[in-house]
Amino acid sequence: MTTQRTAADRISLLQGTLDVLILKTLVFGPRHGQGIARSIQRQSEEVFFVDHGSLYLALQRLEDKRFISAKWGVSENNRKARYYSLTAKGREHLAEKTTEWQRLTRAMELILGGKRAPDVEEA
Amino acid sequence: MFRRRRGAEDFADEIQAHLALEADELEAEGLSPEEAHRRARVAFGNVVAAQESFQLKSRVFWFDNLLRDLRFALRQLQKSPGFAATVIATLALGIGANTTVFSIVDAVLLRPLPYHQPQRLAEIQSSDVGQVYESNDVSYPDFFDWRAQNHSFEQLVSYHDTSYTLTGVERAVHLDGEVVSAGLLPLLGVQPQVGRGFSAADEKQGARVVLISHALWVSQFGSEPSIVGRTVHLSGDAFTVIGVMPNSFRFPVTAPKNSFWTTLAIDNEPHNPGTANRGMHFLTVIGRLRPGVSVAQADSDMKAIAKRLAREHPNSNAKHPSARVQGELAVLLGDTRTLLLVVLGAVGMVLLVACGNIANLQLARMRGREREIAMRAALGAARARIVRQLMTESLVLGITGGLAGCLLALVSTPLVLRILPPGVPRAGDASVNLAVLGFALGISLLCGLVFGTVPALIASRTNLVEALQAGGRAQIGGRDWLRSAVIVGQVALGIMLTSGAGLLLTSFLKLTHANEGFNPDHLVTYRFETPDSRYEHTRPEFYRQYFQKLRGLPGVEAASGSVFPPMGGDEADLSFENPEQPVPEGQRPSAIVDIVAPEFFRTMQIPFLAGRDFSDADTEQSPQVMIVSEAFARKFFPGENPLGKKLRPGASSDARGPQWRTIVGVVGDVRRYATDRDMTPIQYLPASQLSRWCCLTTVARTAMDTLSLEPEAAKLVASMDSDIPVTDVHTMDDLIGLQLTQPRFAMVLLATFAGLALALTLVGLYGVMVYSVSRRTQEIGVRLALGASRGAVMQMVLCQAVVLVGVGIAIGIAATMASASVLRSMLYGTGARNPIVLALVCVVVALTGLLAAYLPSLRASSIQPMQALRNE
Repeated sequence: MTTQRTAADRISLLQGTLDVLILKTLVFGPRHGQGIARSIQRQSEEVFFVDHGSLYLALQRLEDKRFISAKWGVSENNRKARYYSLTAKGREHLAEKTTEWQRLTRAMELILGGKRAPDVEEA
Repeated sequence: MFRRRRGAEDFADEIQAHLALEADELEAEGLSPEEAHRRARVAFGNVVAAQESFQLKSRVFWFDNLLRDLRFALRQLQKSPGFAATVIATLALGIGANTTVFSIVDAVLLRPLPYHQPQRLAEIQSSDVGQVYESNDVSYPDFFDWRAQNHSFEQLVSYHDTSYTLTGVERAVHLDGEVVSAGLLPLLGVQPQVGRGFSAADEKQGARVVLISHALWVSQFGSEPSIVGRTVHLSGDAFTVIGVMPNSFRFPVTAPKNSFWTTLAIDNEPHNPGTANRGMHFLTVIGRLRPGVSVAQADSDMKAIAKRLAREHPNSNAKHPSARVQGELAVLLGDTRTLLLVVLGAVGMVLLVACGNIANLQLARMRGREREIAMRAALGAARARIVRQLMTESLVLGITGGLAGCLLALVSTPLVLRILPPGVPRAGDASVNLAVLGFALGISLLCGLVFGTVPALIASRTNLVEALQAGGRAQIGGRDWLRSAVIVGQVALGIMLTSGAGLLLTSFLKLTHANEGFNPDHLVTYRFETPDSRYEHTRPEFYRQYFQKLRGLPGVEAASGSVFPPMGGDEADLSFENPEQPVPEGQRPSAIVDIVAPEFFRTMQIPFLAGRDFSDADTEQSPQVMIVSEAFARKFFPGENPLGKKLRPGASSDARGPQWRTIVGVVGDVRRYATDRDMTPIQYLPASQLSRWCCLTTVARTAMDTLSLEPEAAKLVASMDSDIPVTDVHTMDDLIGLQLTQPRFAMVLLATFAGLALALTLVGLYGVMVYSVSRRTQEIGVRLALGASRGAVMQMVLCQAVVLVGVGIAIGIAATMASASVLRSMLYGTGARNPIVLALVCVVVALTGLLAAYLPSLRASSIQPMQALRNE
């Protein structure tokens, strides 16, 4: 019935990943908090479970750092919601972080996948 | 700056929106509305926790916390009103006393003089080398030479007091004023409000110009600017008014009532000019240091000049071969400085004792709250939060106490100013001002911080497990010696303050019971001028008639006059020639002189030891005579009969110069100042043979209420000369009281502070003992259960107090001995280390301590062993 998996299958988010995920979600346009949470869960194929307390804290943090901006708006089903959108500074930060993550996952993949990687030290 | 970007409500709205959107979506997936809402809520997790963490991350959360801490602190303090009241009252007393005293110290000691660049003003005194008693005043010729020869001062100005009668106005008035040299206003950097200042020409012989005070301008001349250039009559002389000084102008600052300033041309009389007499020392000299010249440099400059002058004029200057330069403020303060510093020290000690009490109260309270704090820590409160919480409580107490102290200061400052000695310069300007309030607030904040931080830090280190288990019997031993040390310190301070107060009290009692050498009961004194312009030659006759009439008034038992009456505050030193011990002119002996009318000794009830009184038969033409005091006879004629001996005191009335005088009488000694330590030798000369000496102060002994003579006396004087106002009417008791104000002030304040300190120590010791007993309830219960007698338990508790008080007393005695010299200059008739006073003080303090320990020991001995054991 529900599309959510059971708690045992979920992986809690690594420290610092939530910020990047939020920023990535906002690339496609403004969203409210609930939409962001849903989107992250859905896109990770329900692997990531977003703790909502942490989510709003992260949103507050990103807003403070001026990576995102927020204003109140109305949702498609006519509910008042606070919409977050990416700023130029946020976009820049996201690009930076994305590269970092890609290098990290590649390195992890190389090691965990059992292949020898001559250039691991450099990474 | 701390504007909150987003309110908590806004955040709550957002969460609500989230929950609604999630529920919508779940509903769309086919759930029932209720189930959808439930799931949305479950999925979100703890809403309150989310809101709380939002609060914590919010930029102004510390402010919210502060408000919360404040509310919590107030609630906590409400729960223990006794504790809060004690702390606030203690602080209020400490801070109130401090603020009051600081207000006065600020006005008198700290505030600069009201002149341009006052730090460059210095006073120059003539001085001897090593000899104890010689006037520091300067003579005119010396002043002129100093002014011309020095390289250290931009300006040098001489001044001395004078007084005149202003006539030609509605009613003749007596005015005090100053005779100054022309450079005064540029030296002070002050301009007249109307008119001009003095010019060099105003110093020339015959010049009669005067600057008047703003107050005189308003009261006598209706604030008319046309006063400038007008002629006024002062004691019969015509003076031209050249200007009016600003309202704020005071010179010297010790004489705020001065109404006029004139130039030294007054002293430049055609015959026998004071400005040419090098032996007449009666001037004060101040100067403005050149930029970059220090007081020490000026001092050596002036010393060199004085030394040269002493070589050039050995006859007049041998006794003043040196000079001394001091900062003007330092000179002005004189021994007032010691007095104020002693009082400031005393009040500081009271504050220390008060702080000690607060520290102890806080420590005891923390101890009582150990479990509460441990509980809060166990429930997850961060240590920093607990410390801040406790400090907020302390600050609330500190600030409340500080405000109460400020109120107390506002009330008590005028009271203290009223008992302040009249000689304290600038005290009239003292008030509780912003600087002082800042000072008080600073102290209270500091108290709050210091005495909040230490216990809070200790409390936050509480070991959770230990504190919570076993009914909270965990002990931290270190705190007990801290509390004991505080008590010992308080007792020691109490000893120092009380012994200081005891010494001042002893000294004051000695002063008030001292034999003055005359009988001050029912004596009244008053003054009036007999101006030279009318009485230069007729003075003796005028006075003879006047005293005859005065003695005839009803209620007057005896009456006479004296130029320098005892307790009047004026005196003159006169050198004399003794043919039996010829010495060079510059080294002649000198003694205090008084010039009196007949019957002076009978009026004052000064005993006649030998010989006769002056009489109206002693005239300028008859053989010249004098009377000496017992101390004079002892000092200058040891083992001899002074009667019939001849001396030549350096006082003259006409062109003949000083005359040889026969000693015709010996009288008992009198105390010239109420605070004199010794009876000084005095030479008495008859006013009837020195007609140019002005003016006699009347002394009259009455049978009735002393001051009721005033209207009759004023009428009598007016009937003889309507242009002579009677001034300065005082009873002798008032004059003596006036001279004792400084010792009385010191005694009253120190006694108050000592009492305060003792009371606070009592409270502190009581608190410590009560606390200690309550903590040892179980131990005492065990002792009693095992057969200890109640007496033994009481003794045990008292012993603890005795040890604390004993150590405190020992330290206090040592500190008192060490600091005794501070008070020496303020003591009369007692040494600074008076064993009787110290012993009495120790007894008082010890009794106070035992009293504080008695009730707690009683409580300890009445503990029920079974109950005590069960409770734990």
